Amino acid sequence: MDTDIATLINVTKKFGKVTALRGLSLRVPKGVIYGLIGPNGAGKTTTLRIISTLVTPDSGIVKVLGHELPHEKNVIRGRIAYLPEEAGLYERLTGWENLLYFAMIYFGRGRAEEVAKKGAYISGLKSEDLHRRAGEYSKGMARRLAIARALMLDADLIILDEPTSGLDVFSSYRIRKMLREYVKNSGKTIILSSHNMLEVEEICDYVGLINKGILITSGPPSMLKAKYHGRTLEEVFISIVGLGE
Amino acid sequence: MLYPIIWKELRDMLRDIRTLAAIALMPLIMMPLMGMSSIYVQNLQPGTVIINDNDQSSCVIGGVKISSEELVNSLTIAFLNSGFKVLHNLSSDNISNISPDLIVTIPHGFIKNATSLNATAYLEVSENVASSKSQEAIGILNSVVSEFSHKLSASKVLYLSELASVKIEVDAILSPVKTAVTLVGPSGRRASYEETLRIAMAKILAFSLIFVTTPSIAYITDSIVGEKERKTFEALLATPLPRWSIIIGKTLSTSVIGLITGMTDAAGLLLFFTLPSLTYGVNMIQYLTPQLIFIHSLAVYLSVLASLAIILPIVIRSGSYRVAQAFSLIVISLASIIFFLALYIDIDKVEPLPRYLLYFIPFTHAVGMIEATVVSNATLAIIHTSVIILTIIALLYLSLKLFSEERIIYSKT
Repeated sequence: MDTDIATLINVTKKFGKVTALRGLSLRVPKGVIYGLIGPNGAGKTTTLRIISTLVTPDSGIVKVLGHELPHEKNVIRGRIAYLPEEAGLYERLTGWENLLYFAMIYFGRGRAEEVAKKGAYISGLKSEDLHRRAGEYSKGMARRLAIARALMLDADLIILDEPTSGLDVFSSYRIRKMLREYVKNSGKTIILSSHNMLEVEEICDYVGLINKGILITSGPPSMLKAKYHGRTLEEVFISIVGLGE
Repeated sequence: MLYPIIWKELRDMLRDIRTLAAIALMPLIMMPLMGMSSIYVQNLQPGTVIINDNDQSSCVIGGVKISSEELVNSLTIAFLNSGFKVLHNLSSDNISNISPDLIVTIPHGFIKNATSLNATAYLEVSENVASSKSQEAIGILNSVVSEFSHKLSASKVLYLSELASVKIEVDAILSPVKTAVTLVGPSGRRASYEETLRIAMAKILAFSLIFVTTPSIAYITDSIVGEKERKTFEALLATPLPRWSIIIGKTLSTSVIGLITGMTDAAGLLLFFTLPSLTYGVNMIQYLTPQLIFIHSLAVYLSVLASLAIILPIVIRSGSYRVAQAFSLIVISLASIIFFLALYIDIDKVEPLPRYLLYFIPFTHAVGMIEATVVSNATLAIIHTSVIILTIIALLYLSLKLFSEERIIYSKT
């Protein structure tokens, strides 16, 4: 259990009359890209928000980086980086200043520039683009910078909600490449959610399929394809969700 | 941990030049314009007065000649000096196209009655109720008539004293009781006329706080609800930044913007009052002492902070623009009432029950600070300052306690 970066046991969460999670259990191994897949409203974002310490579950056990939530959320926050779905940038700040701001929050003014430079490198954006206001960026550029901002922090766990949602083929490709290289070079762990089965199959080492607030199945994509007799993860997904319905 | 958030917030706000310039420059332009318009535009609308002398007679009483012509001349000069157009002896058939503000008619027998010892003379006055200048004209008329009446009374008294062979002092008969006013400060010591003006200035300064609250409230709402709407807040909340630094950082940086805009508002208001007073030869600015400027600046800043501290728990709890705007309006109205009251009442001298109710509103203490300073009551000024600071701290602490990431994320904007 200690080798897991995040562990959720029988977690439930309700928002008023809506039940988002109904006894979800999940294990995220260290050093992998873990993909959370599931239909709309399955509970993916709630799960990511719980792991990110932003939402407190009604019941169940949540351990992130060996620390239990919600008691040790401050310790966890210093070691994770979270990028919500469609997270924006500060539009009146330049791209560089957006990086510098988060670098200052995590590392203080002393190391901020050094960390921001790393972010600039990861983003792959040109210097002149980095010194333009983020409000002038295309959606793809803004997303690359936002992901680079999360990756530069050297966090033990990076949580990305729909990192390529709404992006064109080129931007999505660049981001997948960024994520693969990052995990390969750093050995850190990424949890991401996505609707794009091809993307998940391509970059994720481990996949968890959530439907109606519970984890239906999990494992490496190849194992899931073999287990559910699907040629692609998409076929696996459809057969499981279909069976579930 | 305050530095990053203040660094970012100030950059973000100061780069919104258009909004900032509009908020800061608008009062500097509009207030003097209002001040000037209140004087000069009035002159662009000259009033018209018709004076008809149907009496055209004169009489000597007490050795003094009293004539209707003299009254006509006095009225004409007074109206002309106040910018009125004066027409004489027009019949009602000839005035249909003129629409005068006032028609003054001296009827037949006016001088006879005026100089009589047992009759009263009446001027016939027709006032145009639809005219905004008629009240001003009535004021001028009453002033001239009062002077004319006094001269008549003096002549009659002189005439009677001659008849009775009694030596008299006319003023002792006509004004036997007068008031002798000595200006004193709250401590009872004699006060100068300048001090009276300084107190009036303090009231104007307290009133100028009315413009301080609005911009800062708009900024803090945008700083939290706007950040949520632009989808940058959730990522920030997942960082190790302590919640207190988010609250204090946003409050402090917003208060700086509020202070800048507040000061330009106050400067605009001073111009509003200064331009007209310069026209009339009284420069109120000269009564602004360094001590008064300091306490006013402090009151402005604390009023800004108080506004932010009141609205912050609501914004944090609701996370909604509409709710924030509704409550902002309440806070701004509340502040406006207090600052407006400051023009007319001394809050520290109000009856106990309403006074203590007013003391619950932090803005009351901002006014109290200025009013206590101008009358050199340092203890009271310190008490007011301490109360407002403690209230701000308590409200910020409440915001911290009410801070819930989950609520902010899931509330509707």
